[in-house]
Amino acid sequence: MSLVELHLPPDTQFVSLARLVVVTAARRSGMDEERLEDLRIAVSEATTNAILSHQRTEEAQRVVLSFGTRPTDEVFQVTIADAGPGFEPLPADDLVERDWQMEGGLGITLIRNLTDDVEFVRGEGMQVHLRFGVSLSSNGAS
Amino acid sequence: MELTLNDRKDGDWTVLEVGGEVDVYTAPKLRERLVELVGDGQYRIIVDMTKVEFLDSTGLGVLVGGLKRIRSHEGSLALVCNAERILKIFRITGLTKVFPIYDTLDEALQDAT
Repeated sequence: MSLVELHLPPDTQFVSLARLVVVTAARRSGMDEERLEDLRIAVSEATTNAILSHQRTEEAQRVVLSFGTRPTDEVFQVTIADAGPGFEPLPADDLVERDWQMEGGLGITLIRNLTDDVEFVRGEGMQVHLRFGVSLSSNGAS
Repeated sequence: MELTLNDRKDGDWTVLEVGGEVDVYTAPKLRERLVELVGDGQYRIIVDMTKVEFLDSTGLGVLVGGLKRIRSHEGSLALVCNAERILKIFRITGLTKVFPIYDTLDEALQDAT
């Protein structure tokens, strides 16, 4: 898989750039328009979390997005990596118990529901892996 | 695309027309405008999202905050939205049960209470 990397300063103005670049790459990979909208939101949520994490801890390092298509299993993957303290994501079924007046936590709910697969890895920083199926054979992309 | 905000009175309602992208960078402007309107005594607000190109959870959070603020004054906040890509995120987060959502501004003005 040939990965492309995008290094973003921890400034919220760059979240829209992350959406634009990743969605453009996924479109070239053959992802259909409906799934591109899902990807756009998931990338926005994960990048927002990463940048806000750096801002809260005054971490000057850049947030790194790595993305590309795995031809072997036709998956478009985006990894959003930050150097912040990380977080423990809410469990997937938490929405049922959710109080609508809580303004936080909606982003993780959206990521879980809009991706085909997501992995939250808390290590020295936080890595969020977003995965979306793409059909390489139907459009000739490689 | 930047966020655009325009508001006007229509009968008992204040219509706040939102356009462009609502994300972590732009949402504070929307929050600020809603706070100003409620602070000015506008407790019946329709947020017309017909021209919104993108909305994520930060935008949802601002709308939830606005609704709480308005309900504390026993007011109403209704939304106008007919874009499937945006309605989808209201459904996923369960917020379709919280906000009255209309396809058109005319419907909102006629039916919203």
